[in-house]
Amino acid sequence: MKKMIKISLLAAVFGLAWLVNTETAKAAGAEETFKFYCAQCHGLEGKGKGPNVTKDFPVTPRDFTNAKEMSKLSDNYIRGIVMDGGPSQSKSPLMPPWGKTISDADVNGLIKHLRGLCKCQGKAG
Amino acid sequence: MRLILSTFAAIGLLGFVAGAAHADAGAGKAAFEAQKCTGCHYTDGPAKEKSIADQLAKKGPELWYAGSKFQAAWLKGWLQDPKPIRHLAYNSLTKKNAGDHPKLSGGDAANVADFLMSKTSSEVKVGVIKPKRSLKGKKIFTKKMPCTGCHQSASKKGKVTGGFSGPTLVGVGKRLNPDWIYAYLKNPTHFKPFKAMPTFAGILKDKDLKNVAKHVSNLK
Repeated sequence: MKKMIKISLLAAVFGLAWLVNTETAKAAGAEETFKFYCAQCHGLEGKGKGPNVTKDFPVTPRDFTNAKEMSKLSDNYIRGIVMDGGPSQSKSPLMPPWGKTISDADVNGLIKHLRGLCKCQGKAG
Repeated sequence: MRLILSTFAAIGLLGFVAGAAHADAGAGKAAFEAQKCTGCHYTDGPAKEKSIADQLAKKGPELWYAGSKFQAAWLKGWLQDPKPIRHLAYNSLTKKNAGDHPKLSGGDAANVADFLMSKTSSEVKVGVIKPKRSLKGKKIFTKKMPCTGCHQSASKKGKVTGGFSGPTLVGVGKRLNPDWIYAYLKNPTHFKPFKAMPTFAGILKDKDLKNVAKHVSNLK
């Protein structure tokens, strides 16, 4: 019986370690995706100050660390604007459509990453 | 008799010219390796990048389709006087381009340009795009899908505006092959499996990709 408990405990510890590693890997993937595609306008820290935002840039890219504003946006709204571009949600065309560039899994990871940046939940819908 | 001699002479001259061109490309390959260009650029295709990390690990752009991408005269000149094409250092969003790309002598530049121009991609069909004014292309470029968000370009009066993350499009009409611009818009991942520019094929109609290519290749 004691042997059984030991084996179960070991299995649980290994299982937990595997889960933690997998989640970490997923998070790293989303951050990499964000830095590669989004940071050029939204900045590496997500504050809307990427290198493309010069004095001539006609709009202000969204600051993803602004919890008050980010909590007004649903995850579906973010998914739509990322994949289909700004005009699909009545926003600027300077937010291009990424739907032919990144996968559904990528955008799901990005949404989680953005929620991590704002430390907020989106409204339902 | 005179005709036969002339024919032999012409064939001999042709052979010499072809041989010389081949020798130049060979000398160019040797110079490319001697100058350690291979430390930052690879020239054997197809594309090798399998992930974003692979792309970010590169120190300079891939050149395995340089002969389809660039215009020979521009390439030869640029290798001797390499003014920055990107405002930012390659693969960086924070570091300014130091403008320290090695310069080649006139002879090496001609040979390396010959070598690089021999690196072509069958994906680029020749003679499809002619640089010309395209109002539709301009509208997409400036308003519908504003390329200017990431690329600098010059107005008719010469005012340069635009973002910094992509290569500049100032003077692009002399730099890039119009057919490559279209081929890249049509099938970008063939050339760059991981790139920070969105794929517009499948979003814009093929006709509009051609219109954008015409407009871009007409930029001064």
